[in-house]
Amino acid sequence: MSDPLLRTDSVTKRFGKLTAVSDVSLSIPEGGISSIIGPNGAGKTTLFNLFTGKHAPTEGSIEFRGEEIGGLSPHEIVSRGIVRSYQITNFFSELSALENVRLATQADRTGFGPDDFLRHHASLSDAADEAEAVLDRVGLLDVADQTAANLAYGQRRHLEIGIALATDPDLLLMDEPTAGMGPEQTNATVSLIEDIAEDATVVLIEHDMDIVMNISERIAVMNKGELIARGTPAEISENEAVQRAYLGGE
Amino acid sequence: MSLLDAFDPRETGSSTDGILSNRGRFGILALIAALAVLGPVASAVRPFWLYLLIQILVFALLALSLDFVFGYAGLLSFGHAAMFGTGGYAAALLITHVTANALVVLPAAVLTGVVVAAFIGWFSVRARGIYFAMLTLAFAQIFYVIAFADLPSTLLGVETVTGGDNGIVGLATLETFGLLDLSDRMNYYFLTLGLVALSLLSIVRLANSPFGRVLQGVRENEDRMAFIGYDVRRYKVIGFAISGGFAGLAGGLYVPFQSLAQPQLLNWTLSGELVVMLLLGGLGTLWGPMLGAGVVVLLEEQLSGFAAWEVILGSVFVVVVIFAPRGIAGALVSLWEDPEDAIGNVRDALANYREKVMK
Repeated sequence: MSDPLLRTDSVTKRFGKLTAVSDVSLSIPEGGISSIIGPNGAGKTTLFNLFTGKHAPTEGSIEFRGEEIGGLSPHEIVSRGIVRSYQITNFFSELSALENVRLATQADRTGFGPDDFLRHHASLSDAADEAEAVLDRVGLLDVADQTAANLAYGQRRHLEIGIALATDPDLLLMDEPTAGMGPEQTNATVSLIEDIAEDATVVLIEHDMDIVMNISERIAVMNKGELIARGTPAEISENEAVQRAYLGGE
Repeated sequence: MSLLDAFDPRETGSSTDGILSNRGRFGILALIAALAVLGPVASAVRPFWLYLLIQILVFALLALSLDFVFGYAGLLSFGHAAMFGTGGYAAALLITHVTANALVVLPAAVLTGVVVAAFIGWFSVRARGIYFAMLTLAFAQIFYVIAFADLPSTLLGVETVTGGDNGIVGLATLETFGLLDLSDRMNYYFLTLGLVALSLLSIVRLANSPFGRVLQGVRENEDRMAFIGYDVRRYKVIGFAISGGFAGLAGGLYVPFQSLAQPQLLNWTLSGELVVMLLLGGLGTLWGPMLGAGVVVLLEEQLSGFAAWEVILGSVFVVVVIFAPRGIAGALVSLWEDPEDAIGNVRDALANYREKVMK
């Protein structure tokens, strides 16, 4: 078996006296969809924050393609191919859908050379073309010129995914991509996730167990900051520790 | 002023077409041409007016430099006097001790502004919002005290460097290898006009560049910019340093013109006045704050005989913020776009004000 894409070794994150993530060791192989599940406050989002550089781990290591990334800043981690989408809508609400995505496709075409200060931004036409392709993929091409704040809820959630996708990630971390959606929207989003997983590795945080069991190849279960189980959907649904965590018993 | 109406309303830069439409560009060129004619005319009618025009141009440049970071990149600098003042002091020191050649003095003022802004920015961009504002204010006051107390003279063990609270006085006029006689105020006016025009065009260019777009994204959502791969802190420091360069240039033009560099140039009162110019003129429009600077300088000049002229400035400020929240620029644009609607809006605002406040 090849090396994992992402591997954590005894990662711990403490905020003062609160241990949000405790001694988590897991590995995510390249390709496919993995899910992280667990009750609220289990440390799932904190784990994403550690992977993406929002927080540095208190202890332990995080390796991406064999390279330590724990404690790097967010933009350094994005440049290595890890990007996340957000549970809450977190975009540029005053800009159009196209420009939202364009800022992301522009990122790896922009630096601090003379050109980046002197030429007109519209001359980065390949960034615009790529942004349109991304909008097409997430189903928003027909609202490309609409201000993000004016989009419908489901459209906003797809724009959120589109922005992440536009950075052309190898590993896409998605925080509850279907939260708050109706059944129809949920289906569209699930198809989108499966489509994305064709050429990138996807890790989901998801509460909807039907989705998790249907589309995940691997599942990791967290509770109170700890990793309590990992395995295939079939294994996880049989796991007693998981059932206890979800039922709240001891 | 009517020519200014021709600016594009989408000046907040959220359109793909860029910060100014062709109409806006034409407006800028027309205004520059108008100012070029206005100078000699004003001077012929009343020489003092030319002095006032230069003053307005310098502060318009300073307001422009601040708007580039304040309105466009969302960096709320309350210490922009630091770059203006240090640029000015750099000019004064060069003229006193080295050379009065404008080709040395002005680039040095720019460079000083860049360096000081990079220094302040480096420490301040770690904080955000009001904390960033307070840090820039604190840094600016440090520079003020350094100049006021003439700290360099103590450190260097010489009699005087900054001249303490008197400042550096009796500066020689700038010279340009004899190409342009800058002791002639008309020539100084044209030099200033040319440099201000060049600065405006450069900043518009910058605002429309990929770099400018990133700054705008930072203003909108700083965190997300980091999480799609931008080194936000670096962008902010560089944006701040660029802005500082233009502020330094304003200082470098102002001090030789006044033949005086004094600590007041570094004081928070000037930084505060600058913020008023921005809000009055229209934040984030680049050209609005330049108008705001004109209004403030004119008011100050006309009313400074009146002991409490700030009361009038304050009242104007309050009226603009209540009835034209997007500033003079916003009001002009909506008047141009849809006069009836604009007047209706003011009427509504008045009615609203009566209902909510006066009751």
